[in-house]
Amino acid sequence: MENTDNPKILVFSTEKISDPAIDMAGLLKKHYPATVYTVNVPCSSAIKSKWILHAFDKGFDGVFIAADGTDCSFSDTCSDKTSKIVANTHELMKEKNIDPAKLKMAAICSVCAEAFVKHMKSFHKFLSESKGN
Amino acid sequence: MKNKIGVYVCMCGSNISDYVDVDKVKEAAEKIDGVYVAKTTMFACADSTQQEIENDIKEQKLDAIVVASCSPKLHLDTFRNVAQRGGLNPYNYVQVNIREQGSWAHSDNPPLATEKAINLVKGGIERVKHSKELIPIKIPSINAVAVVGAGIAGMRAALELAEMGTTVHLIEREHFVGGRTSQWNVLFTTNETGQEVVTRLYHQINTHPKITLYTGTEIIGKKGSVGEFNLTLKIKPRYIKPDCKHDIKDLEKAIAVCPIEVDDEFNFNITKRKAIYKNYCSEFPEIPAIDCEACNKCGECVKICADIDLNQQPEEVNISVGAIQLSTGFNPYEPTKGEFGFGEIDNVITLQQFKRLIELNEDALIYNNKTIKNIAYIYCVGSRQIDGPNKYCSRYCCTSAIHTAILAKEKYSEINNFHFNRGIRTYGKQEKLYHEASEAGDIFLQSFEEAPPQVERAGNETIVKINDILTDNEELEVNADLVVLVTGMVPRDYEGIVNILKVPIGRDKFFNEIHPKLRPVETVIDGVLISGACQAPLNITESVKSALSAASKVNSLVSSGEIKLEPTMAVIHNDKCTWCDKCTEACPYDAISKIKYKDKEVAEVSKSLCKGCGMCLPVCPENAIDLIGYTDIEMESMIEALIY
Amino acid sequence: MSKTEEYDVLVIGGGISGEEAALNLADQGYKVLIVEKDLSVGGKMIHLSKVFPTLDCSACITTPKVSETARHPNITIYTYSEVSNIDKKSEYDFRALLTKHPRYVIEDACTGCQLCEEACPVTVQDQYQYDLVGRKAVYVPFSIANPRVAAIDIENCSLCGACEKVCPADCIDFTQEEEEIQIKVKSVVIATGFKLFDPTLIPRYGFGVFKNVVTSMQMERQLVPTRPYNNVLRPKDGKVPDNIAYVLCAGSRDETVGNPICSQVCCMYSIKQAQLLMGALPMADVTIYYLHIRSFGKGFNEFYQQSKDMGVTFIKGKIGKIEETENGDLKLRYEDIESGVVKEANHDMAVLSVGILANDGVSSMFNNKLELDQYNFVEQKDILANPAQTNMSGVYVAGTASGPMDIPDSILSAGAASAETSGYLRGGYDEK
Repeated sequence: MENTDNPKILVFSTEKISDPAIDMAGLLKKHYPATVYTVNVPCSSAIKSKWILHAFDKGFDGVFIAADGTDCSFSDTCSDKTSKIVANTHELMKEKNIDPAKLKMAAICSVCAEAFVKHMKSFHKFLSESKGN
Repeated sequence: MKNKIGVYVCMCGSNISDYVDVDKVKEAAEKIDGVYVAKTTMFACADSTQQEIENDIKEQKLDAIVVASCSPKLHLDTFRNVAQRGGLNPYNYVQVNIREQGSWAHSDNPPLATEKAINLVKGGIERVKHSKELIPIKIPSINAVAVVGAGIAGMRAALELAEMGTTVHLIEREHFVGGRTSQWNVLFTTNETGQEVVTRLYHQINTHPKITLYTGTEIIGKKGSVGEFNLTLKIKPRYIKPDCKHDIKDLEKAIAVCPIEVDDEFNFNITKRKAIYKNYCSEFPEIPAIDCEACNKCGECVKICADIDLNQQPEEVNISVGAIQLSTGFNPYEPTKGEFGFGEIDNVITLQQFKRLIELNEDALIYNNKTIKNIAYIYCVGSRQIDGPNKYCSRYCCTSAIHTAILAKEKYSEINNFHFNRGIRTYGKQEKLYHEASEAGDIFLQSFEEAPPQVERAGNETIVKINDILTDNEELEVNADLVVLVTGMVPRDYEGIVNILKVPIGRDKFFNEIHPKLRPVETVIDGVLISGACQAPLNITESVKSALSAASKVNSLVSSGEIKLEPTMAVIHNDKCTWCDKCTEACPYDAISKIKYKDKEVAEVSKSLCKGCGMCLPVCPENAIDLIGYTDIEMESMIEALIY
Repeated sequence: MSKTEEYDVLVIGGGISGEEAALNLADQGYKVLIVEKDLSVGGKMIHLSKVFPTLDCSACITTPKVSETARHPNITIYTYSEVSNIDKKSEYDFRALLTKHPRYVIEDACTGCQLCEEACPVTVQDQYQYDLVGRKAVYVPFSIANPRVAAIDIENCSLCGACEKVCPADCIDFTQEEEEIQIKVKSVVIATGFKLFDPTLIPRYGFGVFKNVVTSMQMERQLVPTRPYNNVLRPKDGKVPDNIAYVLCAGSRDETVGNPICSQVCCMYSIKQAQLLMGALPMADVTIYYLHIRSFGKGFNEFYQQSKDMGVTFIKGKIGKIEETENGDLKLRYEDIESGVVKEANHDMAVLSVGILANDGVSSMFNNKLELDQYNFVEQKDILANPAQTNMSGVYVAGTASGPMDIPDSILSAGAASAETSGYLRGGYDEK
């Protein structure tokens, strides 16, 4: 039933910052691949590596963290903390022979709808190409 | 695990069903283990559907529900309440977003949008299966508020809040209250002056037992969150003794002897003032202040006036409040050098400067020693920019410019007003001013957005040229004695407060509300509200309306003494925890401490301090921390369901 | 006249402003009575499609507010009811007379199943669809009405009794009569809203004569999810239009029809409809004839720019006359302001962007003691510092009852009215 060549992307968004931007993309009918699935967390520094690895394990081709960046309302250490999560997970991915490029992160502000769509399109393209190989 | 789940797939009229095959989604949901009822509905949020869901819960004894509709930001609470009315715990409800992140985002591909909706619903069902019954946390709230900015919005809000019984700390950065309103003279529509309105409010504020006014004061630190913010305020020295008996004559003499002259910001720099100053004679608080940045402490004033004390030091004060209402206002847009001749041609000024000029010139309108007759107003300076970043309309300036032009004409003889505009926007009842000006003989010339008027210097003359679309695009010229740039609004410089409070900023650089219709004065930061022109350009009436709206919300938030918070918080699995201290480092709220558990030490999370950010989760080497509502089982089973 | 009911606040009008004010006050613990003259609450907003500048679905924003209001323990709502004779005895003591009109349907028993509608043999024009389609003499007002309960339009009812026979809840009751209730309240919020300009007052536009000339509210109804035809069609022949004209300032900024002021919302709703039309009918051309585009609010100018980028045509011109051609198309004669000459343009549908006017009868509820401004809106006595204050202490105004305004402004205005009312109720009157 599913097109196996169409890469699936799991996005971790944050309830107050990046998820509103993803909503806004829809509101403005800015299209991005329909195989992008978003899961909400309160803050991007709350994401466990375990969840990310679980996503790859179950068949997601890419994971994207739509981070709070400097807009985080919890703490100004958020950017650093999310980066650290990504770095740690990259190491764990290498151990499991998963290309670290399949986990990406970018700060998405609450009105960054366009930036989000751009990221999704290019990440989807990258994953399609690497899947083709 | 829940196994009598109700699933409702909303068509949202046609917003969802135009692109997502809702019947297919319903059919897919029906097949999942644990789903007992699955239905489609025209509007899930309609009262009749809410009633239907409530009845289903009761009659079919459902143990959890999923609604697949719009973004949870709109209706999460609506359906949690439905669940509750049906007798469920509101947290046995999951909302799946198949509109903003489904039908609308993928309206270009209905089959894939449908497939995505099916998977999202599956994910929601898995998540709700593992959901737990939760009870919202109640935290105490201090019935006090910090209102930041004592302009018209802040003053008016402070007064209303105090009358509603809330203690108010009114914090003003300048030494005097009144903000921009005190800089305007006669106001539309009542012909009161700005200073009169400010005076009226000041007297009520000054005598109100529930209001403390801080002038020359800024917030420099914040701890805590909604319910109890602990703020540190820094008060600049005024250099006038607090018990000053203010012998006006002595103070006036002191102003006279001050050797320092600086640009007078109150008059938008068209005049100078001394380092010791008052902006206008009945200004509040009534005693002058010394501008500590300009003063060189020569001591001349001290010799004359015993009330001056140049040894005052900045003071720090701590206050505790349940909420913060921002009303930090706007700045007039500052034209760049050379923008319509500004800063290069000496008779080009801004509308705000012009308003001060009219107030200061009693008998004849004179600028740079020249009597002014022909005035050219250039509209939309700094607003509706084609190339610049300010794409927005500043809303108040058309009316303000026309009103000022009328006042100038009434006050001085032989004034000719030429309005170089881009389409006059005197909306609503303000239209009557536009009529009045036209009838009084003001000339309105309109240019295309892409072809603004030009200001040129020709010898001793300043020429304004326009391709006027009202006269067949003919090039017209006016020899102007004065060019008034009708400058719009930009937010008042707010870096400090933004860094401290993390207020969200919109695309237009003004503070951003959660939703312009549903929650127009609230921000995503719980307990931080916005009002007046810090949110968007607004006129005085509109600012006051927004200030009163916000005051109403603030009062409802803090006055009961108790605030309900989401039960989302971290929990420690004591068996796994080995107390390595990593979580305490990660926690931005000092919410984690060490306790004894059986024969070892483990971490404990404070219910009132934890804000549920989850920053402690990934740093735990033992995976001993879960976030309620985002537990491993909920997250992982949802992720799994999205892929199959 | 039997009973007297007591409340803290009487809110007149159950539209978005009335609801916002009522909810704020009820949340602060005051007992509020909302009186709505229509069969259902939600006002005009509940009938709109998507709303500018965020293009949220209007029903999706209104219905939860309506629900919250209807369910609030401190709020009582009387629909299909009117207030009169509001008499101020002293501060904090207002007496009024409330008239509940009969629905001829037992409100608590009706389930909104609409079987009566199927049985009813009488069809009349549906006012909630702005006469675009018909409805029965017994009817549930519209699909998301609150209360979602039927009513009998007794003027058009043939008294055949068909509805009575089919009603499974046995709730049709022709014996109902007008009911009068005395009420006593401490303060009053006026949220009576606005009425739309009647375009038959400008005969040269041909509204009512040429079927393809419609009002903006009729177009709005064609764009909502619960729309009558499930498509945008021109009324004369059901053809999908492909060249639509908007005539701005229909009944606004026009001394000759007695309304010199700007209605503040028509530019924006027309631009919004144009955007929605471009989405619904991708091949259609939309032209907006305007005097000045007034996109002044937060995000409005950006929204206007967006519509230009989408291909909406803007012509600065005043429409002189509309004529119908043989196939039902329309010829618009207008003065093109940019070239200064009179031109003609053909369109297959014309939308009159009608303005908003003060509602009638507001002052008469107060035995004419309430002051109105020169445009018949409620006079704001201290517009700069206390924008909700009227000439009567204890009586406040919310939303478009005080002048034209859009939804965000109405909501803020209602917030101000509730704050001022609350201040009054707490004894603030003495200090002001």
